[in-house]
Amino acid sequence: MSYDLNRNADQRQILDAAEAMLAGSYPLARLREGASDNLAEASGFGAFLLGLPEEQGGAGFGIVEEALVHVLFGRHLLTPRSLAAALAVRLAASSGDDALMAAIAAGETAVAPAVRSGNGYLLIDPAQAGMALVFGAERLELVRIADAAPEAGLGHDLSIARMPANDGQAIAETDEAGLLLLSSLLVSAQLLGVAEAARDMAVEYAGIRRQFGSVIGSFQAIKHHCANMAVGTERISALLDMAALALSDGREDAAFQVAALRRLAPKTALANASLCVQIHGGIGFSDEADAHRFVKQAHILGRLGEGQPLLDLPAPLVAFSRA
Amino acid sequence: MHLKDTEDHISFRAAARAWLSENVPAGPAPRDGAASRQYALDWVAKCHSGGWSGIGWPADYGGRGLGPDKLVIWYEEYVRARAPSVHDCTFVALNHAGPTLIACGTEEQKAFHLPQILEGRSIWCQGFSEPNAGSDLASLSTTGVVDGDDLVVNGQKIWTSFADIADYQELLIRTEPGSKRHKGLSWVICDMKSPGITVRPIRNMAGTVHFAEVFYDDVRIPLSSVVGGLHNGWATAMTTLGFERKTAAMGMQLDLSVRLEDLIAMAAPKPGSAMAERLADLRAEAAALRAITYRTLFRDQANPSEGSLMRLRFAELAREISETAMECLGAEALADSDWSHLYLESFSETIAGGTAEIQRNIIAERLLGLPREKRA
Repeated sequence: MSYDLNRNADQRQILDAAEAMLAGSYPLARLREGASDNLAEASGFGAFLLGLPEEQGGAGFGIVEEALVHVLFGRHLLTPRSLAAALAVRLAASSGDDALMAAIAAGETAVAPAVRSGNGYLLIDPAQAGMALVFGAERLELVRIADAAPEAGLGHDLSIARMPANDGQAIAETDEAGLLLLSSLLVSAQLLGVAEAARDMAVEYAGIRRQFGSVIGSFQAIKHHCANMAVGTERISALLDMAALALSDGREDAAFQVAALRRLAPKTALANASLCVQIHGGIGFSDEADAHRFVKQAHILGRLGEGQPLLDLPAPLVAFSRA
Repeated sequence: MHLKDTEDHISFRAAARAWLSENVPAGPAPRDGAASRQYALDWVAKCHSGGWSGIGWPADYGGRGLGPDKLVIWYEEYVRARAPSVHDCTFVALNHAGPTLIACGTEEQKAFHLPQILEGRSIWCQGFSEPNAGSDLASLSTTGVVDGDDLVVNGQKIWTSFADIADYQELLIRTEPGSKRHKGLSWVICDMKSPGITVRPIRNMAGTVHFAEVFYDDVRIPLSSVVGGLHNGWATAMTTLGFERKTAAMGMQLDLSVRLEDLIAMAAPKPGSAMAERLADLRAEAAALRAITYRTLFRDQANPSEGSLMRLRFAELAREISETAMECLGAEALADSDWSHLYLESFSETIAGGTAEIQRNIIAERLLGLPREKRA
């Protein structure tokens, strides 16, 4: 078979290993303690070099495997510093700074994701980070953190800081199309993970919680919410495979597939997260349950960069050109 | 994981494209009636003469035994060439009846019917739904009583697409008196010209006739027309429905993508406008639906309920695209046009083949494992 969307043995192996590492080091319950994630375990796993070519220190995997690992990161609500690290590694590599690349990949140099707001930046989860990766619509910039002032974030449990934009902050930057597409792909992958985890948590709760003498998951009104979450998730999951393969093979429809994915992923993650809160009822609105964390993560990830305008790209009516 | 055209695929694609560009009929297809029947049969006959009819059928039965990757290429080229809709009055014959006969029929049944279907000489319809057994198929009550070498059939079917222009029907009836639910049913080939059959066409909200009520009054059907064994009709019917949501679904949804591209070209929305945003969303949704279909087709172990997921997404997207087209048309939406016709027809998508609500229940229960609702 020449069209094959099954995961091969190597892919299953790396994903099983990643899931074991995440389950051991980053269980969702950790978030109740309020501490910022330490990415040492993920770095030790080689997560931030996974998709790089072997001559750059990569592990011989590719973009597809890296994207699938980021889905698992999303499921575990891993700090979005994981996205900043994956992209900063490449920015450092393309600017020829091998020492910086190695330090970021090893987790010795933490990189906070950042977005532009007003005349400056909002840094996300900047604890211990010395630099920030700014996710713009048309460029990625790696900047030094200076004069950052912490302030309360969304729901008071998101750690953010505000930083003015100044000359001399820049370490590296790129507007290279391939890297921007990869950024969109990995952000979307994490959003998919959020959507999947929210779906699973909602379905699990619907199968336990009893009202009117039945588990609520037997009621059609709840069931249909859950079905919508499953459909939403399947859409972006299939699209992620398509986009990752297209990007990995350098196919001409890569930009289109990534843009379609990037357009749907934030809406889907947020829709699933919102339904997860709704299905939990009162406890879903409380800080004590984890449902609200998916809502917040969906907002954070959805702000990291933008997809290309989809109507500007040619639609691939014939799917695959020669690869 | 990979999606790559091999040398073999590339030459297959080129051959399909070349043949289609020479042979696709110009001008629109008639919407219903005898003219639509002739148009569809002529097209199948033309495909057959070019070696493109029933290409997924086994070679032993006149097909080419092509696997899903080549079928996908065929459908991609098919919609690109704007060939006649795959979901016309030949759909049941080519995509249900033929494959069901190949899987479960006798040699005589195959020898008589399969060439007629492939060569564009017969139209089939599907007699499954009844007034009290639509989505709840197992509660059907049309009966067939064994009398000598015949079954004597009495009852009624409804929502039978193309019954008014069909030659044969895949008829599901209760043959074991007093049997309940899935047991005691039989799947039989019903000749639509049999004495005792009355067809009452039902005009739909789009103003066309695609389906009908069919009444059976002591209709005699020879026992030799039972497919897959007497009283074993449920298994045969499940075989039939299994064919429905495979590659043929690919043709329908690729067709939808092409239609959406037409709409985007027609609307030419201002960049950044609300309509541009909406059309971009639809384009992304169409890409996602296509990705789901590829995934379902090219996966070793797909959960059968994934068919419901695909069907639901297709149905709702078809309606959303048509609704958007009506908005783009403005006042012209009040006049008859391809778009306004498609809009009205699209209301059937979230009903036919199991309503959107039924599909959601299937997804929740069989894919997510949620419990069934208590039934009174």
